[in-house]
Amino acid sequence: MSTKGPVTVDVISLGIQWDRLISIADEIINTLVRSSFSTNVRESYDLSCVIFDSRGRSIAQGAYSVPSFTGTAPATLAAMLARYPAGTLRPGDAIMTNDPWIGTGHLFDINVMQPVFRSGRIVGYTMSITHLPDIGGAGFSAAAREVYEEGLRLPICRLAAEGVLNEPLLELVRTNVRVPEQTLGDLLANYACTTVGGRMLNEFMDEYGLDSIDPLADAILEQSERAIRAEIERIPGGVYRNRIEIEGHDAPLTLACELTVRGGEVHADFTGTSAAIRSAINVPLCYTRAMSCYAIKCLTTPRIPNNEGSVRPVVVSAPEGSLLNAVSPSPTGGRHIVGHFVVPLIFGALADVLPERVQADSGMLNLINVQGRTRDGRGVSSIFFASGGFGALAGLDGAPTTPSPSNMTGTAIEVWEDLTGLVIESKALLQDSGGPGEFRGGLGQRIEFVNDSGSDVSIACLAGRTDFAPRGVRGGRPGGLREIRLNGQKVHPKGRYVLAPGDRLTTLESGGGGYGPPERRDRAALAHDVAQGFVSAGSARDDYGAADE
Amino acid sequence: MTHRIGIDIGGTFTDFALFDDVGRQIVTHKSLTTPAAPEEAVLEGVLALTRQAGIAAADVSMVVHGTTLVTNAVIERRGSPTAMIVTRGFRDVLDIAMEQRYDLFDLRIRFPEPLVPRTRRFEVDERIATDGTVRRPLVLDGLAEQIAAVIERDGVRGIAVCLLHSYANPSHELAIVEWLETTFPALRVSASSVIFPFAREYPRWTTACLNAYVQPVVDAYVDRLERGLADAGFAGQFLIMSSSGSTLTPDMARRYPVRLLESGPAAGALMSARHSRWLRQPQVLSFDMGGTTAKGCVVRDHVPLKRYEFEVARVHEFKRGSGLPIKIPVIDMIEIGAGGGSLADVDPRGVLRVGPRSAGADPGPACYGRGGREPTLTDANLVLGLLDASSFLGGRMRLDADAARTALDDRIARPLGVSVERAAWGVHEVINEDVAKAFRVHASERGVDYRRCSMIVFGGSGPVHGVRVARKLRIPRVVCPSGAGVMSAFGLLASPVGFELVQSLRVPLAALTPARFGQITGELEARVRAQLASAGVDLARSHTLLRLDMRYEGQGYEVEVRVPALAPERAIAELPGRFADAYATIFGMSFDDRAVEIIAWKCEVQGPVPGSDEAYRLRTTASPAGALRGHRPVYQPEEQRHVQCPVYDRYGLKPGDVVAGPALVEEAESTCVLAAGDTGTIDAELNLVIDIAGARA
Repeated sequence: MSTKGPVTVDVISLGIQWDRLISIADEIINTLVRSSFSTNVRESYDLSCVIFDSRGRSIAQGAYSVPSFTGTAPATLAAMLARYPAGTLRPGDAIMTNDPWIGTGHLFDINVMQPVFRSGRIVGYTMSITHLPDIGGAGFSAAAREVYEEGLRLPICRLAAEGVLNEPLLELVRTNVRVPEQTLGDLLANYACTTVGGRMLNEFMDEYGLDSIDPLADAILEQSERAIRAEIERIPGGVYRNRIEIEGHDAPLTLACELTVRGGEVHADFTGTSAAIRSAINVPLCYTRAMSCYAIKCLTTPRIPNNEGSVRPVVVSAPEGSLLNAVSPSPTGGRHIVGHFVVPLIFGALADVLPERVQADSGMLNLINVQGRTRDGRGVSSIFFASGGFGALAGLDGAPTTPSPSNMTGTAIEVWEDLTGLVIESKALLQDSGGPGEFRGGLGQRIEFVNDSGSDVSIACLAGRTDFAPRGVRGGRPGGLREIRLNGQKVHPKGRYVLAPGDRLTTLESGGGGYGPPERRDRAALAHDVAQGFVSAGSARDDYGAADE
Repeated sequence: MTHRIGIDIGGTFTDFALFDDVGRQIVTHKSLTTPAAPEEAVLEGVLALTRQAGIAAADVSMVVHGTTLVTNAVIERRGSPTAMIVTRGFRDVLDIAMEQRYDLFDLRIRFPEPLVPRTRRFEVDERIATDGTVRRPLVLDGLAEQIAAVIERDGVRGIAVCLLHSYANPSHELAIVEWLETTFPALRVSASSVIFPFAREYPRWTTACLNAYVQPVVDAYVDRLERGLADAGFAGQFLIMSSSGSTLTPDMARRYPVRLLESGPAAGALMSARHSRWLRQPQVLSFDMGGTTAKGCVVRDHVPLKRYEFEVARVHEFKRGSGLPIKIPVIDMIEIGAGGGSLADVDPRGVLRVGPRSAGADPGPACYGRGGREPTLTDANLVLGLLDASSFLGGRMRLDADAARTALDDRIARPLGVSVERAAWGVHEVINEDVAKAFRVHASERGVDYRRCSMIVFGGSGPVHGVRVARKLRIPRVVCPSGAGVMSAFGLLASPVGFELVQSLRVPLAALTPARFGQITGELEARVRAQLASAGVDLARSHTLLRLDMRYEGQGYEVEVRVPALAPERAIAELPGRFADAYATIFGMSFDDRAVEIIAWKCEVQGPVPGSDEAYRLRTTASPAGALRGHRPVYQPEEQRHVQCPVYDRYGLKPGDVVAGPALVEEAESTCVLAAGDTGTIDAELNLVIDIAGARA
């Protein structure tokens, strides 16, 4: 038995201090959420907060961060420091950008960074990223043909210098956005929370008597990288491919990937993917990378906190100018619409080597954008998030109506109706929409909206799964397709529609894919599904081979 | 009739405390919980306690009771078969649920089953609009046959009536209730607009379903208890603790059984609140750590903070979002998966992790010698010398120190390449960090500066960790109250009878006239008083508390504002200022130019706090041998080695005695740990008050 502590960073202290850094990142998020005025931040947590060491390595990220922000921040910081070198930064400086290719893939996300000073030296950096309520231009839609139409693009610039806000810049933002108070409010919330983060990092260093967090960072990154490499090494080495078709603007698009698993690393290459298109669903490589890292993390080390070490063994490449490596001036506002498919694309590629871990395709989210006016004259600009079913896994039926891979919360009907004047007449599970399988896909839902606001309401849906159903894995069958109907008539799912008073919008949200051959489904589970009405007697007979009773 | 009894049924023990309101003395008793029929231990204990105090059951004026019955019935799904009547088009709201994942990276997450299966949910034609107007009239065609069928087939005994926007207009729900009462008089009915008239259908309906689900269980239990107490000669008032910290009469508990969720934990927080008065410390953190969980609560101005949502039957005990969301007034507790039984291991990162997995009672920590091989927090505390192998639980249970060392060595020290002592300290310190983190987040979210609080520690492990947690939070003072082991039973006796309703009703402040204000609050208060009066509560000495949830129009966060007891004109005039203050407390700033609206109206009516406001003293037999028991080696992290520390007997310490840290003060249920530089003083009520080294008190 050893009786002396080790000479490097003590592993006991490492665990405690590591958790504290994550806790600080969580508290930065708390500050941000509480001072924000936008729904994206407050309710959807479309945000992230990151702590870096003095060398710009990300060492802790808030636990709530959505998948879009997995591993993006170090590159953003590096670009900021290239423009404003560390030696030129002063306490109270704050740097920001919303450039899709430097930040997180679209103009809506603002990245705000502050250096953290201690005894006159930079010991680290804090960064927060939030989805702004508006950035001008075409608004939150896929309508733009070039990035210039999408709104205000802020290069890497100073939000504040030595604690004094850059007023001309704020004025520029104010004049260019639709909801200036909310947008400016969120910019300042980002500034405030990165300030708080810096103060807490200093308090943490006081408590543990640290002059530098770099040795701690070394240990955190090394342990993280080692853990994810060890898990990747358990995947049989080899090259795995997948190719899927998804809905484009007017023609289907192809996403292809080739995963090379070797020596504790995964190289995801997306050659074979369609070229970028003139619709705002193109994906900058930073976002493709975030989604790839997220997918690999779910399959290997879901419990390892996000940091630079935990994404290091995942290398991502895609042909320049392709849909998954779009370059300026391709528009990218709805980059998540395509980018989210990277996750099932990777799961599908690994289905045969990780059968116990992969998930069948999910029905994913429908973002129903609504613009109008309530009976009492309030302006309405809201998004209704409607979830499809979750894909099945080995040994586990998919949950009904569960978002994937992003995690926007559904809106309560009673709150929605009060907010918009758009009445929901029913919201019900869709029988037979879950892909048949030994483990059934989660059910989608059917929602009926009626325009009761007394004036016209404009509607646009942002969602896939309207032409290509969520696929099953390992013999499981696909889930149901998504469908949009206007007054009972099926309409183009990507269109923008006007609902006159009394008009009815019906959405059928797709179900998750099944896992394993349906004939293998446990008969008691099938009987339960039929009794509850999740599966019809007809489907039980035709899809599952149940004997007629 | 000058004695009152508090009874807290826990998982292992049922705690009793008898207050003598004249002599201001307390006698306590502990018996083993009888899970199959909890009332047995209760009745047996009441008799034992009165015997011990030398009084008859007839001398007892009040029995107050805290119970985990409802929580357990939901977790173990032992409620009675329940049906649901719901607005046409919405029977699947219970399955569709929150449409949110509570863990982003775990693909294998599971969600709790709805309390009412889909086959027992019946849709009716009707529709109320968001402003309370009727969009479609109520039609009950065909419902009678469907309900008769499930009574026959499934033995349904309770039914929840859940219609959209019923908080805005309950008329359809109430019409259905009336119809059910005449058509199916044996069914117990819970209407969502009565149980909690609050906007957001999924939690409101789940709350109504839960109420219906546990109602028959609670009915039967309360009946047996009342009968048993009467048979024993008790003729006083019998009350049951609710989740909010006020007590309910048996009639109200039968009507609103959902409000008995968290009945037990509330009591500990209430006792901390009572202590905050006695100690003249308006702000305290209440910290209770037992075998599997730690519970915390912030007490502000002598009152525990409350909230209005709660999650029950979580699939993952400590993951928010993995349970059923319930709307009830509930003391705002922090729950942490940290306790004496918390298991320590090396996590996938290769660093030390402690909890939330717990060794439970069986096999328990390795040192219990019942076959546990994995190290726990208790094992670590034993190796550190904070606990003693021979005096654990007052010497009733001998601990195996070698087994503790072996478990720590095998699972932590050797894999990580550190000494057993260092590993043990790590386990101890990880828990301190977790608890400190939970308090830090909880307090700052609520705008409370925890640095200015004192901390009251209790439970088996709370006093072991208190001074280290306090250091992390920069808290100057820690109090180990006398009789900490039965704090909850004390707390029950310090609470008034009361009831609260929360009504959703959005009103822009600019549109609020004094007449409207008076009408809304008057009607709400009348509803609350009617509930209390019909349950036999004497309202002569009651008082009313009115609070509003307010927000800036367009912002999603509500802030609670207390309404001053003034005439409507003057009360309304004060609201903007009070809102701005409350907002700034939490968010650090407020805005003058933004419109404000009221979202919800909360009215609480409380009876007087029973008993004397003075402190009570625990009747104990002082240890004749004196306070100092001896010395034992205790690990000092600052020196990275064990150092001989004095060990005191809590029952030998007298008011005015001073204990200098490092030192240990042992009592039957726990050990109070003082670190180097700390100073402990015994106050007049025998509380141990510890001033933390280096902190400005």
